[in-house]
Formats: sequence, C-alpha cells, structure tokens
Amino acid sequence: MKDKDTMVQEEQERPLSLEETFEQIEEVIAHLEAEEITLEESFQEYNRGMKLLQHCNATIDQVEKKVLQINEDGGLDEF
Amino acid sequence: MQNVYTVAQVNSYIKNMFTQDFMLQSIRVKGEVSNCKYHTSGHIYFTLKDIKGSIACVMFASCRKGLAFRLAEGQQVVVNGSVDVYERDGRYQLYAREISLDGAGALYEQYERLKRELEERGMFAAQYKQPIPRYIRTLGVVTASTGAAVRDIINIASRRNPYVQIILYPAIVQGEAAVPSIINGIRALERQGVDTIIVGRGGGSIEDLWAFNEEAVAQAIFDCSVPVISAVGHETDTTIADFVADLRAPTPSAAAELAVYDIGQLQDKLDEYAYTMRHHLDIVMQRARREVEQYRARLKYVSPANMIRMKRTQALFLEERLQKGMERQLIDRKHRLALYAEQMKGLSPLDKLCQGYSYVSDAGGRTLSSVQQADVGDQIIVYVKDGQIKAEVTDTEMRELTESINCAAADEEN
Repeated sequence: MKDKDTMVQEEQERPLSLEETFEQIEEVIAHLEAEEITLEESFQEYNRGMKLLQHCNATIDQVEKKVLQINEDGGLDEF
Repeated sequence: MQNVYTVAQVNSYIKNMFTQDFMLQSIRVKGEVSNCKYHTSGHIYFTLKDIKGSIACVMFASCRKGLAFRLAEGQQVVVNGSVDVYERDGRYQLYAREISLDGAGALYEQYERLKRELEERGMFAAQYKQPIPRYIRTLGVVTASTGAAVRDIINIASRRNPYVQIILYPAIVQGEAAVPSIINGIRALERQGVDTIIVGRGGGSIEDLWAFNEEAVAQAIFDCSVPVISAVGHETDTTIADFVADLRAPTPSAAAELAVYDIGQLQDKLDEYAYTMRHHLDIVMQRARREVEQYRARLKYVSPANMIRMKRTQALFLEERLQKGMERQLIDRKHRLALYAEQMKGLSPLDKLCQGYSYVSDAGGRTLSSVQQADVGDQIIVYVKDGQIKAEVTDTEMRELTESINCAAADEEN
C-alpha cells in the first residue's frame, strides 16, 4: 500500500515516462507471477497494471503530427 | 652582322621581361612539394612539381610568416609569390611569399588540429554524452528545408511513428552563413523544448560539409541541453560535429531511426504486457477457484444431507444384496426341484401302468402289497392305465415267491 501511495504522489508531481511505466508494469507482472499472491492482491495488481497501460497509451498520444518549421520570429508554421 | 651580347646582358634582358609581366609578379601556383630543404639561413628551398613538369621554389626567411605549417615532401600546396630570374645561373624560379596546403589538404590539417584540441578539452568524452531518450514526443531537426536529408528524416520518422511531432529549423548548411544558422537552429529547438535534435545534412564535398567542422558549431552541440544526434553526409564522412554529438548517425535516415521509436513495436509490447497480466490474473483466479471447489467438495462430503444420502445408498445396497441372495436361493431350489422331478419321473407308477401293469388298493385307497392285507369279500380297486376296476376278493393264497412275482400273480387273478 505504501508503494502505491508514493507512486500516486510521483504521478502528481511529474508524469511517468514510458520507460518508468514499463518498469512498473514489469514489477506488476512479477508480483502477479509470484505464487504466494492472494486473490485480492492479484486484482489490485492487475488493476494497477491496466492503469499503467492506459497511461502508456495516453502518453503515446496517437494523433498524426504535421511537420512544423520554426519561422524567423521563433513561431511555428506548417512545413 | 647581328649584335653579340654578353651572358649578363641576356639574363638581365630576360629578367626585365619577367619583371614587367604583371601576371608573373603575383601568381598562385599549385603542385606537390619535393626536394624540400630548410637552410640554416632560414630560407627554404624546394621544387614544386606536377605530372607535367617542375619549378624551383624558394621562400626567404623574411617571408616565413607566410607559412603556417612545416613544409614536407609530398604535400599538395598552393604557393603565392612571383616568378623571377636568378641572373647568376640564368634560371627562373618561384619566390614564395605564402604557402598554404591545397584545398582538401588544408582543410584536413585544420580539421585534425581542431579535433585534437577539442579532444584535449574533453569535449568528446563519454561522460558528457547524454543518453538519447527512447520514447520521444517531439523531434527537432536542424538541416536545409530542401534536399534529400530533410525528406529522408521526415519519411523515416513518420513511417516509424507518425505521432511524433517534428519541428524543423530550416538551416543554411553550407557557405559563410552556415555556422551561425546551424547554431541558431540548435538553440531555437532547445528553447522549443524538443526531446531530441538531429543536426545534419546530406552528402557533399569536404568544403560543403565544412560548417560541421567549425569550433562554434561543435561548441553549440556540446552546450545543448537536449540530446543531439549528428547526421552529416554519408557513412564515410566524419566531422567534428559527429565527435561532439551525443550520438553519431551515419546518415540522416539512420538518425531518424535512432531518434524515433517504432510505434508498431511499442504497441506490440503493450499488448504483450496486457496479455501477460491477464494470463497471470487468470492463473491466480483458477487457483482460487480450485481451492473453493475443493472446500466445497469437502464441505459437501461432511454435510448431514450427504450422511443421509450415504446411509440411504448403503441401505439400497444391502437391499439389493438381500434380494440377490434370496433369488439365488430360489433358483437353487427350483433347480433341485427340477432335478427331483426328473428323478421321480423314472419311478412314477403311472409309467408302469402304461406298460400294462396295474396296482391295487383297498376301498380306502391304501395300496395292497401283501396277501395279508386282503380278506375274502373285501372290495378292492384295480388301477389300470385308462381307469379303475372295482372288484371283490374271492380268495387269497400265500406264495413263497419274490415280491414282484407275487404281485404279478395277484394282478393276473383280477
């Protein structure tokens, strides 16, 4: 539980990078793999993992980007 | 009769011709250095040659400031000076005022010197290399807005991941204006807060790529807080920018591949994560279900209902056994009965009657088997195969014969 709280705090301070999210997902999977996990814990871990995956997808921001170019005033125009 | 001249007069005349020739007084000659001698006086004597010829050269000690490097055999140089006649020997030679390494050679010299210098300053050291972020949102590109390099970068980057925002700084990448333009580009993109910057251009001659060998550009790359990937020319072109950049890409296309992650691969990875988690959750749930099932089975086993059911089953089982036992007994008896009947059949008196025998009973139905049982006047009944004959005893006679004959005799009498 303590780990989760610190994670939430970190999330508020700074969005997790994809690499960091992957690390956390790997942790979740390792927990889920552990034999001694209880059913309740496994649900919690799974939910946490799915949230992290959603976070990944949100981070990717799948909107096709047009190439921009910097103009003389430092503004951006479409290339 | 023609005039006769002295040698000195001829040489003087020729020297005068040379001196009056505007072109020969200030000429740039290129060639390869050979027979180079540094004289103790400070003068340098050498021969400049190319495949078609050679010319003697001298650089006087007074002109040595026109030479910035040590002249050596085989160097390709450009000599700036004048062609003049040495009257004493009747020879002409090239009097050098400035000597510079020719084209590529000169640039190479400059390149090597700057490379050494920056290396000594530690600007190429691994400790200053920033890691290139693996997953970026925005990519800065400093290169010419026309040409193959920018096309290649945009094509590769958008093929791998169309969701990465590319911001181009259209830079001048060759000529006088290139250095400030490239530096401005790096700084502008750094201010934009891009995640990675690609600095580069397509292939060209060493002169074309020269801006990327300038110290100011190297310094700008070194100072940039955003990771910089250099991509200058072709794979074989290595510039100072490549050494100082955080990562060197052999070509602009390769730079785009290094900078932009493949969205397809990432998506696969996410799917795999989702699948793995789902799979593990299923395993845990299956384990829990099995446990529940086991408890349920054990509880069911010890329930009163099950006890009753078990007793009932036991009772049914006993009943069945009982019935089976009974049936077996009955069948056994029936068999024995059949057997007796068969045995009895052989012994039946009715069969004997069929064969012509008869038997005799008294009026009460008691079988007569001895003379002593009958008295004269007794009513008797003779049983034959198709009925009975009622008769009266008229006489009795005892005979010492076997029982069977006695009987037969008795029959005959009736």
